[in-house]
Amino acid sequence: MMNNHTNKRICIPGDTAELAKVREFVEMMARSCGFTEEGAYKIVIAVDEACSNLIRHSYQLDNSRQLCVQVENLGKTLTIKIIDSGNSFNPLSVPPPDMGEYFRKFMRGGLGVHIIRQLIDQIEYIPADSSHPFNILKLVKSLE
Amino acid sequence: MSNFILDQRTVEGAEILYLKGFLDAHTAPQLEAAIGGLVQNGKYSIVVNFRDLDYISSAGLGVFMVFIEDIRDQQGDIKLVGMKPKVFTVFDLLGFPMLFDILDSEEDALSKFQTA
Repeated sequence: MMNNHTNKRICIPGDTAELAKVREFVEMMARSCGFTEEGAYKIVIAVDEACSNLIRHSYQLDNSRQLCVQVENLGKTLTIKIIDSGNSFNPLSVPPPDMGEYFRKFMRGGLGVHIIRQLIDQIEYIPADSSHPFNILKLVKSLE
Repeated sequence: MSNFILDQRTVEGAEILYLKGFLDAHTAPQLEAAIGGLVQNGKYSIVVNFRDLDYISSAGLGVFMVFIEDIRDQQGDIKLVGMKPKVFTVFDLLGFPMLFDILDSEEDALSKFQTA
C-alpha cells in the first residue's frame, strides 16, 4: 500500500524577514496535501500569525533565537507544529476579542490568535516541561 | 530584494498609496511610516490601493487601526480599494468592513471624499 505520509520541517531565526520562507514552505506542503489555493492561503496566514507572535513577543526580535515549523501530511489532514524555545505562553489563554468594542475603542494589535482560531480546525498548546525543552503549538487542518 | 513595494501619488487632493507584494510583520512598518508621514504633513484624505497586494497578515491590518481615529478626528478618512478576494477575506474575517470603507476602485473612493 502506498504511504503518502510526509513530514518536513523548516527552522528560521527570530527575524520577521524570515516569515516569507515559512509561508512558502507551508504553502507548498498544503498544496501537496491537496488543499486548494484558498485553503492553503488560510493555513499560511495562521502559521504566519503564530510565528510573528513568537518572533515579536517571545523572542523580542532576537535573531540568535530559532523557531521551527514542522508539517506532517497525513493524507487528508495537515498537522503543523510550531516549535519554540521561549517562555511558555499558551495563546489559547487569550480570550477572543469583542470586535464591536475593538472598533469602537480603536484598539490595536492582539488579533493574531483570533485569526488562527477562525482558520484552523484544532489547536493544541504543549508547553515545555522536564520531558521536552520546547513549546509546541499544534495546528490541525483537514481537507474540506 | 524587498517583497513589499509602496508607491504614492496625489490625485484630486487625496493621497493614494499603492501596495504591492506581501504585507506582514516585517513589511508593515514601511506602511506605518508612510501613513505616519502623511498625517504629520496634514494629509488626512488617504486612499490605499490594494490591487497588487497578494498577502496581508494582522500586522498589516493593525497599521490602519493606528491612524484611523486621529484621521477621522481631522475629518479625513482612510479608504481601502481594489482588494483581491483572498486579501479581502482577512479583513472580512475580523469584521474590518464595520469600521472601514472598502471599495472597488480609486474613483469610488475619490468621489466619496468629494461628496463627504
